[in-house]
Amino acid sequence: MITKFPDLLQTLSAAEVDFIVIDGAAAIAHGSAMLTYDLDIVYDRSSKNLERIVSALAPYQPYLRGAPPGLPFNWSARTLQNGLNFTLITSLGALDILGEVAGGGDYAALLPYSGHIELYGVRCLCLTLEKLILTKRAAGRPKDLNAIAELEALLEESERQL
Amino acid sequence: MEIMKTQIPKDPVIETYKKDIDRTLLRENLRLTVEQRFDNLMSLQGFAEELRKAGRKFDDHKVS
Repeated sequence: MITKFPDLLQTLSAAEVDFIVIDGAAAIAHGSAMLTYDLDIVYDRSSKNLERIVSALAPYQPYLRGAPPGLPFNWSARTLQNGLNFTLITSLGALDILGEVAGGGDYAALLPYSGHIELYGVRCLCLTLEKLILTKRAAGRPKDLNAIAELEALLEESERQL
Repeated sequence: MEIMKTQIPKDPVIETYKKDIDRTLLRENLRLTVEQRFDNLMSLQGFAEELRKAGRKFDDHKVS
């Protein structure tokens, strides 16, 4: 399934959800050539924001990605409150909503390291390339080594172009 | 709000990996708008899906 990035971003933005684009999608925004299949966001965990996320995504049947069909998954603010990080599949594609990121912290911690990007008529927050590199480094996952190298090369190339 | 600046110290392991990165693709991407980068990603996702389908058909016709 192709993830409809424009539709997901427009949906979240129209509902005034407070979120920051991170991980693979943030890397793409900065110019990465790697393939990613999902939109990853860090969301603010205030009650109002949880309500906004739930209302915004409800029409797109969010369900736990990879879980067997028919599990009693109740898409509600209470579910979000009781959990933290959710890997979801929706009718718009794969969406990971994270309350915290390994090596980066929560929405408030990442906010000072985020800038606005504009795409598909949406203005949203995206993690800076430098912070993206540092969070991936801090997570310390061997599978990220190649991605980190690409992001650091990207940073060098973008600085060279300035 | 001002964006916080961050310093990235060199890591010898990452430096080794960096040697194999194709920078021509990165330079090409840097010339695109953010929207064009996502458009390319979605085209690539479509292509990957077609390849997967082709791979499944290939498996079906494999001579064991």
